[in-house]
Amino acid sequence: MSTSSYFLPGTIDEAVSLAKAHPNDHVFYAGGTDIQLHVKQRLIKPNTIIDLTAIESLKSVSIQKKNMKLGTMVTLDQIVKNPDIQKFYPILAEAAKSIATPVIRKSATLGGNLKVSNRCSFYNQSFDWRQSVGSCLKDTGDICQVTGGLNHCYSRNVSDLVPALIALNARIMVQTSTGINEMPLIDLYVPDGLIVHTPLGVGGIITEIFTSDEPSKWWFKKLRLRKSLDFTSLTVAATVNKKDVLRVCVNGVSMAPVLVETGINDVTLEGLILQVKRACKTVDNDYMPLKYRREMISAFITDCWNTFH
Amino acid sequence: MGRVIGKPTPLIDAVQKVTGKAMYTDDFKFPNMVYVGLHRSPHAHAKIMSIDTSVAAAHPGIKAVITGKDIPIAFGVLPISPDETAMAVDKVRYVGEIVAAVAGETPEAARAGADLIRVSYKPIKNFITPDESLVECSEDEKIHQHTKNSKNIHKIADLSFNDPKDGIASSSFTRSVDFKFAGVTHAFTEPHSTIAVWNGDESLLVITATQVPHYLHRTLSKVLDIPLHKIQVKKPALGGGFGGKSDPFPHEMIASKLAILTNRPVKCTLTREEVFLTNHGRHPTEMTMSVGCDVAGKITALDTDIVIDGGAYGSFGVVTSYYNGVLLQGPYKIDRFGFITRRVYTNKPQSGAMRGHGAVNPRYAVEVVLDMLAHDVGMDPCDFRQQNFLSENTKTVGELRITSNGIRECLETVRRKSGWDDRYGKLPNGHGLGVACGFFISGSALPIIWNRYPQTVVHAKLDFDGRIVMFSGASDIGQGSDTMLVQIAAEELGISMSRVQVEVADTKLTPVDLGSYSSRVTFMVGNAAKQAVDKIRHQIAASVGNEKSVPREAIQFADERVFTDDGKLNLTWDEAVDIAMAGRGAFVESGFYISPKLGGKFKGSGAGLSPAYSFGAFIAEVKVDPMTGQVSVIKVWSAHDCGKALNPLSVEGQIEGSIHMGLGQVVSEDMRYHNGRLLNANFWDYRIPMTLDTPEMDVTIIESNDGEGPYGAKEAGEGPIHPVLPAIGNAIYDAVGIRMTELPITPDKVLTELRKGGQQ
Amino acid sequence: MQKVKLHINGFTRTLLVNAHETLLDTLRERLNLTGTKRGCDQGSCGSCTVLLDGTPVLSCITPTIRCDGRKILTIEGIGVNGHLHPVQERLASDGGLQCGFCTPGVVMTAVPFLQENPDATDDDIKEALSGNLCRCTGYKKIIEAVRHAAEDLRHG
Repeated sequence: MSTSSYFLPGTIDEAVSLAKAHPNDHVFYAGGTDIQLHVKQRLIKPNTIIDLTAIESLKSVSIQKKNMKLGTMVTLDQIVKNPDIQKFYPILAEAAKSIATPVIRKSATLGGNLKVSNRCSFYNQSFDWRQSVGSCLKDTGDICQVTGGLNHCYSRNVSDLVPALIALNARIMVQTSTGINEMPLIDLYVPDGLIVHTPLGVGGIITEIFTSDEPSKWWFKKLRLRKSLDFTSLTVAATVNKKDVLRVCVNGVSMAPVLVETGINDVTLEGLILQVKRACKTVDNDYMPLKYRREMISAFITDCWNTFH
Repeated sequence: MGRVIGKPTPLIDAVQKVTGKAMYTDDFKFPNMVYVGLHRSPHAHAKIMSIDTSVAAAHPGIKAVITGKDIPIAFGVLPISPDETAMAVDKVRYVGEIVAAVAGETPEAARAGADLIRVSYKPIKNFITPDESLVECSEDEKIHQHTKNSKNIHKIADLSFNDPKDGIASSSFTRSVDFKFAGVTHAFTEPHSTIAVWNGDESLLVITATQVPHYLHRTLSKVLDIPLHKIQVKKPALGGGFGGKSDPFPHEMIASKLAILTNRPVKCTLTREEVFLTNHGRHPTEMTMSVGCDVAGKITALDTDIVIDGGAYGSFGVVTSYYNGVLLQGPYKIDRFGFITRRVYTNKPQSGAMRGHGAVNPRYAVEVVLDMLAHDVGMDPCDFRQQNFLSENTKTVGELRITSNGIRECLETVRRKSGWDDRYGKLPNGHGLGVACGFFISGSALPIIWNRYPQTVVHAKLDFDGRIVMFSGASDIGQGSDTMLVQIAAEELGISMSRVQVEVADTKLTPVDLGSYSSRVTFMVGNAAKQAVDKIRHQIAASVGNEKSVPREAIQFADERVFTDDGKLNLTWDEAVDIAMAGRGAFVESGFYISPKLGGKFKGSGAGLSPAYSFGAFIAEVKVDPMTGQVSVIKVWSAHDCGKALNPLSVEGQIEGSIHMGLGQVVSEDMRYHNGRLLNANFWDYRIPMTLDTPEMDVTIIESNDGEGPYGAKEAGEGPIHPVLPAIGNAIYDAVGIRMTELPITPDKVLTELRKGGQQ
Repeated sequence: MQKVKLHINGFTRTLLVNAHETLLDTLRERLNLTGTKRGCDQGSCGSCTVLLDGTPVLSCITPTIRCDGRKILTIEGIGVNGHLHPVQERLASDGGLQCGFCTPGVVMTAVPFLQENPDATDDDIKEALSGNLCRCTGYKKIIEAVRHAAEDLRHG
């Protein structure tokens, strides 16, 4: 029987101090749709749950043409339906709409999607299944089962919002017990399937995401078999801003999102594809075959390139 | 008459279902109930060296622990192949096989107890693919000892008429193509669930999610060594089956055994992952399909060589082996015909019967090959098919008796409605149409368990209060058979459906029915029900005629009245019932159905025999994305000959559901394994089409009015799945010029074929 | 363990729950509200959908502890004074169900959807129900039934 503690702080400060008081065993609970799947498969068993639902300041949405600020407890459904996001940042609305199902999107949050767990076809399995293969590095084992023994975890970052936000040059605000920091969203991600996210500091919590980038062109596509429910097999988001800066962010095929940022006239299509593919450590850990996903990286970027030119 | 038969009729339990009141097995609770936890094998093939249950037994809340040796008697749904036990006895044969079970005070205690069982295994050679099972191995490595020649071949089924190989060799056009099909599973939404109660009089009550109470009844009696008359199996509301709840299952035997041992009610509900591991789905299949035709496009011969992957146990596999071949004898006339099917055992969850049993994969293959031949000959694929159809009232080469046959009208209908003649071969690149046909049995003419009983018996009771109660062992699994029973009674007696009630699928209350599979219920139970109710009508007519001095033949039943046309007799239903009750009270009449004697004299002649066959023709429209290789099915036109639609709402529902399930198998569903471990035992990764993935559907019911079916009815539940898959496969050819021979047709495979250039 | 107050179908219940108990378990195993179905128990089929403060949620991945003080509406609470809601009426009359196991989840998704989108098109309905797995119907009659229900609601 579980002896976990559950807290429902009303303010960010309260949440941060709770996290500080339980440094090693807390989870922040946003929409909970991803965490619950992991709890069910006995992948995690959080001892201290800090539920962020009651913190109203995390639910704010502010969009003034060039400047968008979103609290991390904004739901994906709100992002899909917000008319200003649809108007000024359609790439974000489209990315949000590509996630899970309409009902899940009413619970799932922006913050939860920023910190969605990395996935792997050998890790996201039941306890019995994992035991039967001898467990893996990301679980309790000593080796990676996909690569047949490498001492490195290649689980995939599967967020669909993250590439769109990175393509929008988004930054995040992080509150810790020592203060408030700001950082580029891309810096939140570590290309290591075991670490996944940059440690945020004591009690750290992402409070807000913002961008003032105004893309003149955008492109988004998610590779999946079904039009709902599926986690991504490859998500590509790209923007070109008024200064002709091209930002292409690729996710779902590596441990962290991969960003290429360059002047649109400073790169060839072939060069762009090469840069992305070099940065992606793609292994055969998804429903769609490895070779196909790698081919689709090229195909998506080509399609994007053609749309932009 | 014609008051309710043939009219779109909502299901009689629809209101219960939309309000959440319908009781499915897991919804029942009994006082003092305990829960089952199952310990499953982590190995695909291993000897069990020892099992230590002591820690589990001592765990708080654990009331009993059992292992394979506690229920050692073998069973199998087919009495000819009892190769399975409730739990593994000496060795395990797939990852997920049940090795031990506990009963715990709570589900959590049961789970914890099951985890505490310690089993020591000695792994032995795995046979994961059919290729591995087809070659010789050492005798002690074999999956089952009974297989011959040091191989893991469970069954070889073959038939041959008129030297088909020579027929193909001497044909003007021939095609011989290899196909490969992944396994797929039923994925009904209600997980398996069972409650067992050991009554004070040493009788056993089992409430369970089953399509076939009768087989479970017999199997429980055998494996638990309890007399048949001490066992009651009841099926409550059931959340879908599609063949996957047809076998007697280990968890049903385990719950029963634990109920006896603990003397407490026991519930066992499987998790979704466990449902996937239980499987019994469509066999993974590899085949070579060879067909020849002459210059005029007349099919000259068909020969096929098939290997089906049975997984660890037999299930319906012997029948599946035959159905893969014999159900290629229609809807086309083929005089030189042959097949061989080898069913192999492998160390994977077992395959069994699934909607369209045995015939779905070969149907895909043959319809694709016929499409190729049509192009070889230079004929339109619809014209090609049209000129090769079997007629009505004929026999196939293997002596399947064809009675009514609406295939021509089916094809003409979808051809017209889809605008085929203006659009086929003329749509822009990436956009195409495809056609395919199919046929299926309306129940098997031969029972699985050989005896001289009818295939079904229905009792109809007339009571003093004017109600009719229909007693039938048939399982309503969502297809609406309970509603059909009520419709038939209301139709025959001219009363409102609200006067008719059902008592169904309860081995204590209802006469034996062989179950809801092989599309037998409408035809067989429908006929029996009609007969039983007709006898009630005759009884009422006799009583009323006698008392009111009118000739009983002149008495009519309609609009809740019993009357004669000349107006001399005009009673309400209640008045007539009152007369019929005089001197005897409530009474029961019985109807039954036995198939006519059918078939040839040769060995294997019984397979595929049915009193009637349904027919269908479908056209699919697809778009293929040349960048990703993704196939979008836009629309499916379907025409299905079900003889007579007793309830058009249900017939349409069966056709629409078949389109959806066929779509899943053809584009996205597969059982994926990693060294025998199922990789996608959940709905995230086993990809069933959702609303946005499902095409527009145009459904036409064709009524050929079968001479022996009830009101002319034949089946509609399984036949409609067959043409779906190849219609889509052929549409992909029209769209982008590639022949997809491996299912599911995932985008990576499409892209690979596109790169090869297509236009074979 | 923590005390929670749940306002379920208009009636308040107080229970002790641990941090991981799901609302689905609470409803089915403790409160005998078995109309809410457990199809997958991992957020992928929609059968367990209930309304939390009017918003549909998957009860199998919603911890009960989060529902403290909130309003929960289950299939048992839909429809008033013994009358079916038009969505229920139409699913039943138009063939929008077969085995019925996914049906409570469909009802609990469609009812709030139509409240927010009374003029929904077939495409909108398809999108709204794109998390409800049905293995029987092929969805066609479900979508038609919900569209008809929307018409019924509009015409009162």
